[in-house]
Order: sequence, then C-alpha cells, then structure tokens
Amino acid sequence: MKRVPRRGLLSTLVGIVLLALMLFPVYWVVNASLQPNGNTLRGGWFPLRPDFSGYAVALRAQGRALLTSVIVSLGSVVLSLGLAAPAAHALARFSLPGTDLMLLGVLITKMVPGIVVANALYSAYTDLGLLNSHLGLILADSTAGTPLAIVILYSFMRTIPEEIIDAARVDGAGPLRVFRSVVLPLSVNALITAAVFTFLFAWSDFLFALTLTTTQTVQPITLGVYQYLGAHTDQWNAATATAVLASAPAALLLVVAQRHIAAGATEGAVR
Amino acid sequence: MTDLSGPGRLARWMFVLPAAAYLLLFFGYPLVKNVVMSFQQYTTTTFYTGAAPFVGLLNYSRILSSELFSEALAHTVLFTAASVLGQFVFGLFLALFFQRRFPLGGILRGLLLLPWLMPLVVTGTTWRRMLDPETGAVNALLRGLHLSASGVPWLTSTSHALVSVIVVSVWVGIPFNTVILHSGLQSLPGHLFEAAKLDGAGPVRSFRHVTWPLLRPVVSVVLVLDVVYTVKVLDIVLVVTGGGPADATETVATRAYELSFQQFEFGRGAVLGNVLIALSLLFALVYLRVDRLARNV
Amino acid sequence: MISPAGRRAWRVSTHLAAILALTSAITGCVDGSGVESAGDEVTSITVLDYYTDTSEHAQWNDMLATCGKAAGVKVEHTSVPPASLVPRVLRQASSRALPDLLMLDNADLQQIAQTGALTPLEPYGIDTSGISEGILSAGTYEGEVYGLAPYVSTVALFYNKDMLAEAGVTVPRTWDDLKRSAAALTRSGRYGMAVDASATFESSWQFLPFLWSNGGHERQLDTPQAAQALQLWVDLVSSGSMSKSVLNWTQAEVHDQFAAGRTAMMINGPWRIPALNADKDLNWGVAPVPVPRTGQNLITPLGGEVWTVPQGPSKARQQKAAQVLACLNDSANMLALAEQHFTVPSRTEVAARYAEQNPSSAVFVESVERARSRTEELGVRWPKAATGIYTAIQSALTGEQTPEQALQHAQQIATGD
Repeated sequence: MKRVPRRGLLSTLVGIVLLALMLFPVYWVVNASLQPNGNTLRGGWFPLRPDFSGYAVALRAQGRALLTSVIVSLGSVVLSLGLAAPAAHALARFSLPGTDLMLLGVLITKMVPGIVVANALYSAYTDLGLLNSHLGLILADSTAGTPLAIVILYSFMRTIPEEIIDAARVDGAGPLRVFRSVVLPLSVNALITAAVFTFLFAWSDFLFALTLTTTQTVQPITLGVYQYLGAHTDQWNAATATAVLASAPAALLLVVAQRHIAAGATEGAVR
Repeated sequence: MTDLSGPGRLARWMFVLPAAAYLLLFFGYPLVKNVVMSFQQYTTTTFYTGAAPFVGLLNYSRILSSELFSEALAHTVLFTAASVLGQFVFGLFLALFFQRRFPLGGILRGLLLLPWLMPLVVTGTTWRRMLDPETGAVNALLRGLHLSASGVPWLTSTSHALVSVIVVSVWVGIPFNTVILHSGLQSLPGHLFEAAKLDGAGPVRSFRHVTWPLLRPVVSVVLVLDVVYTVKVLDIVLVVTGGGPADATETVATRAYELSFQQFEFGRGAVLGNVLIALSLLFALVYLRVDRLARNV
Repeated sequence: MISPAGRRAWRVSTHLAAILALTSAITGCVDGSGVESAGDEVTSITVLDYYTDTSEHAQWNDMLATCGKAAGVKVEHTSVPPASLVPRVLRQASSRALPDLLMLDNADLQQIAQTGALTPLEPYGIDTSGISEGILSAGTYEGEVYGLAPYVSTVALFYNKDMLAEAGVTVPRTWDDLKRSAAALTRSGRYGMAVDASATFESSWQFLPFLWSNGGHERQLDTPQAAQALQLWVDLVSSGSMSKSVLNWTQAEVHDQFAAGRTAMMINGPWRIPALNADKDLNWGVAPVPVPRTGQNLITPLGGEVWTVPQGPSKARQQKAAQVLACLNDSANMLALAEQHFTVPSRTEVAARYAEQNPSSAVFVESVERARSRTEELGVRWPKAATGIYTAIQSALTGEQTPEQALQHAQQIATGD
C-alpha cells in the first residue's frame, strides 16, 4: 500500500538468512534425531526419510525423566510464585523497613554461582534426607526462579495505581483481601511472565540435577541428555531425540507465550 | 500505608517473611557454609565418619599455589571476556538490524530467542557433536566450502578448545543481548534520530553521536549481567569439552565442580567457589567504576 | 473492570493449588516407594553396573534376573557410563542410597572399600575357593574379601582383516610393526589405529600394557621406559596414523569407530566381541597387544568387574544381594558368562575347562595368565597414579609437553595428595 516493499523485503531476506545461521544447530539436532538407527557417525544433511524410532527409544528410556522434569518444574513455579508474589507486593506497597536491603539481596543472588549453592546444599541435603527427592530439587531449582519472579512482579506491582488499592480498602478489604482480589488479578500478565521463566529455568537445570541426585529415581531429563555422552554412538538418534524432547518446552513456550518471554527479557535481569 | 502497628503490621511482615527466609536459607546459608567448608578437610570418607577437621588455610594454600589454578583462572578470565565481547557485539548488531521495520521482523526476532531458552545441556551436546573434528557438521561444512582441507581441531587441540567453548557461549548469549539492547533502542526518543538525519549525519555518525551515548545505561546493565552470568558458567564447558583436552578449558567453575563432586574434596571445591564469587564481584565493581569515570569525563 | 481478570486469576490460582497438591502427592508416593523397613519381606533388589552397551546390558540383565529368581527377588538393573560410576557410588555412599548389589572395576574396589561403603563377603558364606590369585587380591582390602568377579579379562589388539589384507600388512607384533602397519592402513576418512586417550581411568588402563611391557612401572612414572611408551602413542598421532580425537574417545567410542570402519585397528577388550560378531559385514581378528621388541614379554592389566554388597538399610536386603552375588560366581554361571562375553572364568579349574572347550579364546586366556592387577602395588593409591597417567597422556598427545615432562608431572600427581 505504502512504499515500504523493496527495502523491507530485502531486510526480511537478510533477517531470514541471519536467523537460519543462528538456528542451524537447532535444525541440525532435529535432523539428527530423524536419522535411522545404527552406527551412523555421520548422517545426511536432510531427513529425507524421517525415522521416528529414535523418539520411540527416547520416550521409552526417558519417559520417567520427562515426568520428573515436569513435576520439578511445575513445583518450582508454584513455590517461586508463592514466595515471590506476596513479597513483591509488600516491597512495592508497604514501605517496610529493610525494603532496599531485600531488593539489594535479590540482585546479589545473581552473583552467587550455582556450584556454591550446590556445594552447601549437598551436605545439608545429606543430613536432611533431601537428596534424590522431588522436593529437594524443587527447592534448589527455585533459587533461579524466585529472585527473578520477585524482580518481575515487583517492577509491575509498583505501577499499580494507589487509588485502586485505596478504593478497595475503603470497601473494608484487609491486606490479604487487597492482595488476593485486587493486586493478583491485575498482575496476571506479570505472573504468567514470571511463571514461564521459572518453569524454563527449573526445566533447564543441570547442575542441581547432577549434584543433588545420586540414583535413577528422581532424575530430570537434562541428566538423561548428559548420560548419552561418552556412551555408544549407536544410539545416536535416540540421544538426539532426547535432546529435542528436552528442548520442546522451550520451543512450545516460545510459540504460545512469546509476548511474555519478550516482556520478561526486557524487564530486565532475567539472566 | 498508614497503619504500621498491631496485627496489621504483623500481617504485612508475613508477606515478605517466607521469601526472605527462603533467600536466606538458599543463598545466605550456602555463602556462609562455603566459607566454613573452605577451612575444613573433606575426604571420600567424611560423609561416613562425619569427620571434616578444620585445617586452617591449608586448602587455600594448596589451591592457590597449584599450577592448575592459575591456568583455570586465566581460562576463566579469557572465556568471560571473549564470550561477553562476542555476545555483545553480535547482539548489538542484531538489535540494530531488528530496529528496522520489515515484514516478519517481529516473528524472526522472537524465534531468535530459542538458543537462549534451550537447556544448556542440550546446547552443549549439540555443539559437541557439531564440532567433532572428524564427523562434525562444522568441519564438514568448512571442507565442503574449501575453507579448510584438513578441518579445524575444535575439540582436540589445546589452542582451539577454549575457542570452541567461547563460540558456544557466544551463541547462547546473543539472543539475550539482542533482546535487551533492542528494547533499549526502542525506548530512545525517535525525534533525536530525525534531527540527526536532518543534520546530514550518516548511519555511522548518528550511531556514534546519538545512539551510543543514549544507550549507555542499557549497555552497562547488559554487560554487568553478561559478566556475572558468564563467569560462573559450568554446564557449557562440562558438556562440550569436559575441561579438556589436557585441561585446556578447565575453568574455576569446572574445577570447583570436579573437586567437590568427583573427588569429594568439598573443602577445596569451596575455596574455588569463593574465588568465583570474588571474581564476579570484582568484574562488576571494576566495570561500574570504569563506566562511571567514563561518563563523568 | 476488575472482575473478568479477577475470575481468571482465581482460576489460575485454583489450578496452581491443584498442581501443588498433585505434585506433593506424586512426590510423596514416588519417594515412598521401594523403602521398606527391616523385617518386611524383600521382594526386589537394586543393581548398579557400567554395562551400558546394548547387548552386554541385555545379557547381564538376563543373568541377574535368573539369579534373582533363584534368590526369590526381582532385580532392578541400572547401568551408567564407566567414567561416571565411581563418582556416583561415592555420592550414593554419602547419601546412604547405594544399590543392594554393586559392580565395580576391580581397580576401584579398594578405594571404595576404604570409605567403608562395602561389606565383607565372608559372613555371607560365599565360596571363594579356587579363585585365581590376581583377581582375588584385587577384590581384597585389609585382609577381607569385598568383591568377587565371575570372569577376568584384559585388553588386546583388534584388527580389521579386510583392511589389513587390502593394505598388504600383517598383524603387528612389535611397536615398530605397529607404527608401520598403522601408517600403511591410514586412508582418507580412516585411521590405522585407535586407543582410548581420554581424560579418564579408561585411558590409563589402555596405556598399561605399553608401559609395563617396556619395563615401566606405575610406582615410578618418570622413567625412560615410561617415556618411550608414551612416545609411541605420540608418534602414532603425530604421523597421522591415529586421530587426535582419541583424546576424547571412551572405549565404547573407540569400538564405534572400529565398527564403522573408521579405524583399522584398536585396543579394546573381549567384552566387545559379541557386538563385533553381531555385525555381519565386519571381518575382524584379535591379537596380543604389540610388545616393544620381538621376544619381549607382554604384561597386560587384569580386567574384570567385581561384584560387591554395599552397606544397606537392612540385613535382609544384603543377604538377598549376597545370594545373587554367589549365584553369579558359581561355576556354571561363571562359565556361561565367560562364554557370553568371551572372557576368562576366574576360578582356575573352570578356566582350564573353558580353554579346552574354546580354543579361539586362547589370546585372552594366555594374556590373562600374565596379567597384573592395577592395585597390586599401590592399593588405594592406584587412582592417584591413574590420574597422573591420563594427565600425562593428554598433555603429551596435545603436544603441550614432551612425554618426559608429562610423566614428571604425572609422578608428582601420583605421589602428591
């Protein structure tokens, strides 16, 4: 309609090329997972005759690990949001003494390496019997999600106009009612954003899975992927199929919740 | 906001208390515990006998005097600096590119996030296979394009292995840098660019004199986050090279992991954990300081 | 204005609550399963080993199931890659989550026994008579037998007959032969030779026949004999007869390279034979590891995995595990396992019978007779020496250090703490 086309299309073309370059490894792993089974140290470049036997093997071998990952990730979402939402509300609204300290603390958590946390948790978990448990992993994995959720929710809740809350108070609502019936409903978008990231962080966790589990009973999918390394390459398609399955939630959420992911990323500090 | 006494006040505290307790337990406790552990001697039998005697500074002197530590420290600094530089430059380039409006731009920008959201273990295994000097896709491509006849020894040469893990780390970091820098660019006042254009400034000049100075605060945030995040990266190195060959990609984080969880020397692992924290604080402080000086000039 | 969003939020939170309830329910039941108080009847036991190879895993699965049935228990069998077994066991030991029956490489047994994680086998009344000396001593720590191996093995040189014939070379017997043949067998996309030179104990194990046959010793690694042995590996890589990727290959991956026709010769163990036999297109042979010069004695490391009964939550479970262990090590099963895996039964009289019946396994029966256990000299200090050896291999093969320098460093690692 207007005179965008020529240059716009050129940019689109360049953009597609750039994206193809960036996403080549993703294509490559999907392609490898569709190669037929056998001792194929070098498969073809295209899945001309896609073979899904790798997925069959992967699902059989890793089904339980996938379930574990789902439980742990959802558990981490519940825990992180359960802790973060009230805290963010209080920090944004109550001007409690120590608010700045708490916010600073949240930021400092980013500097604490996972290995330091794992080091200490390992011996604590040994004594508490939390090794090899879903709860243990949920608690540990939430170290990534909780501070993040506090930041995201805090920066949103601060923008809720004071008048709305005052209005509710005038109607006689106590702090809990205000939080539950006014603040939370208004924060749905921020909650979803925080939930998406918390889920992905817990799902991707490798360090805690590696260090805080010692048996097969509670073993997330990331460990399943790792254990194919150094083993036989005759299960190559199953190994890559497992890798694809382990990335599926990321891809899925990117499609269905892209808006939230972009928002979370820019709100800062998702890292 | 008024009533700060009585039961109302208690209720308010109850909002923050669980989160505060959690953060203290899962960050405060490990920080303290690591310092304590770093003065103790742990062995494979410690968890049976419960005996982890205090040994003073022994762990520190052993670690800090070992050759492997200075190597690991050098690798960590190199890995962090190169990764952050790479992520940032490519991220900025893509952010500027996506600032143009063109069909499918938003979708492409969204898909770009995938490498960032994938589990690092998956990223690592994928790249490890792709970089395999014999059978990997990267060398196959280089040979196919006649760029390298014999292929590049990505994972088998001590001088290339660190480059390989940096490549992977850059790849993982590009999307994050792109997104933040892009949104930073979007929030800049458009009329300034119009003005620059009217003054006859080309894209390079307008970037140098208008965009960059305005973007500085966002750049600071991005770089500090990049550094703090990259310095402690473990998954990528562990999966892509396992610290090898011949310890060429051993970093402070991988050493800490190996000492604690492979050799059960939790005391020495804790020393390295503390080094890591110090390192990331140092990086961040130095950067912020340099940045403030630069802005005040 | 608020109400639609409010209803949505309410729905979200009810869902979250439901998930939380579900999570804790699942968590509870998963964690609760499999733990029974002492006195309850033991219906199943857990078993951990490193037999990840598909066919090997299946064969062991069958044998374990059979022995389990005889003992009246079901067997939950798990395999992890070799290099990760010991770290995992150590962590399991500290979290009191050891399996009921545990397989260990014989060289690791003393180290694990030292931690107190294992129980001596004698109180279970297990018959250790007639077990050959080498493997029995490897399974012994401070005078108590902690582990028994149904069979023993060692490494040998595997070669692709078709490739040797096509290149017109004979099976190498000496190091010079080996270098010459490997060079002659190298083609584009194919190497003459492959070993495991990874930064794991597996490469230390593969290096030992070269070290020992040349008069080197794990007690003193910085000797000319050791340097010559390491120089041989370096030469093979620098001449292009061996891929530099050996730095990253596990024994399993070396096998895959051989099976895929990407290497003409390899060092590996007899437990690979079932998989090699299954590949109809592969025409392979096996010979002793080449020695430095004609007429010299070959000394190889004694391989073989010992089965142990770790400390567990209940005596009853340990008893069942011991029964299964005894079953694996009885003469008939020993023979069956050895035949399946082309290894040598560990009871001397069974081995004699086996050699008569299987003349083709002569290479291994002979080699095993002269094999030395890795912990014979150093005991619990072997892992230190093994770490030194693989560190030296990595430094020398990457060209970071000369073999002499690398081995000096290795000696420091082996004797340091």
